[in-house]
Amino acid sequence: MALSWFSSVLFTLATLQGPGTRLTYRIRVVEPASVAPRVLASGAVSGPLDSDMRLTLRTDTAEVEALFHVTPVGDTVSLSGEFFTRRRVGRSRRGLPLWEEDTYRRLVRLTWSDTTRVYPFGNAPRAIWVELQLEREFAGGEARAAEAFDLVDSARDFRLEAVVRPRRARVILNLVRGDTVSAPRPIDLIPEQPSRVVQLVLKGRATTLVVSLTRPDPPRSPRDRALALDADIVCLRVSRPDSAEPLGTICGRLNNVARQLPLPTGDTLAATFAWPGPR
Amino acid sequence: MADATHEQWLVQIDAELDGELSLVERAALAKHLVTCAHCAGARASQLEVRVALARSAGNPHAFVVPRPAIRAGTLALWVAIALGTGLLAGWAAERRWGGPGGGAALEETRGTIVVQ
Repeated sequence: MALSWFSSVLFTLATLQGPGTRLTYRIRVVEPASVAPRVLASGAVSGPLDSDMRLTLRTDTAEVEALFHVTPVGDTVSLSGEFFTRRRVGRSRRGLPLWEEDTYRRLVRLTWSDTTRVYPFGNAPRAIWVELQLEREFAGGEARAAEAFDLVDSARDFRLEAVVRPRRARVILNLVRGDTVSAPRPIDLIPEQPSRVVQLVLKGRATTLVVSLTRPDPPRSPRDRALALDADIVCLRVSRPDSAEPLGTICGRLNNVARQLPLPTGDTLAATFAWPGPR
Repeated sequence: MADATHEQWLVQIDAELDGELSLVERAALAKHLVTCAHCAGARASQLEVRVALARSAGNPHAFVVPRPAIRAGTLALWVAIALGTGLLAGWAAERRWGGPGGGAALEETRGTIVVQ
């Protein structure tokens, strides 16, 4: 019986986490009012099933940043929220604002059709709430994350972001010497996978490098850890074929910005990280 | 004081018992008391009160009501007690509410997720 239950969970997980499943977080930020609740903002974040949603709500006296993550379990889903809160508690003797910071986690189990209410500022009578609905649909192929956000009241400072950890990254390598640049050498790399050997030719001289993609070290700040601010950062480890000692490591976001690493040969390796094309 | 009101005569009686009236004023008051039974009674009542106060102060044969004397040591003791009480109350309040940010319990200010 236990084996059958375990098998069904495994089957469901395998089905849901297939490349064709797309997850959508649909939210509405609602403010209570005397007549009828007022919608301040609405939006949606969608992406692969391992997509997270980062929500930021700021007022004059409080800031709430939360990272929501779902884990499907059978017909239900576990919704977890990592909260990072800053509350203004007064002023110092020198007149500067004093803030207190708080990090905590919330976890609920729900079915896919359920609507959840998130009270980011606590359960105070006139506190705003966020209505959250989770949807899953079967897409044709694995697509990139998408965001849509409509801020009804522009005086409010709310933000909604999709957070996706790249399963692979497109790295474009160039060798630079003075004003001469080698032909770009694009490669698709998967983090924590075995190294790849690449050869770059500049002015007729070939340079062979061994490159591998890794995840960056966990962030030191509790806020960065809780909100996964390093989710789209990858690091390129570069070494020589004949030596295990690395020449250096280049870290960066997948944002098409070239980052440079000086090589002992006098050349400079430029690496550009980007999201891979759709498959 | 020929046309003085009754209230003014009562003030004069009080001043006379404190030894603050001149001879002319005392004479005018004496003449009035002869003709006014109400003021004479008020004067007797005032005197009885003063006798009671003098007795309670431990000197029934005093000529005037003895005023309590505050000694420097007693004053210093009460000032020290007041300061100590203030400091203790401040320390207790700081322990209870603890500087800025006090008020609601931490859990009440934290976000919650409720399934509808």
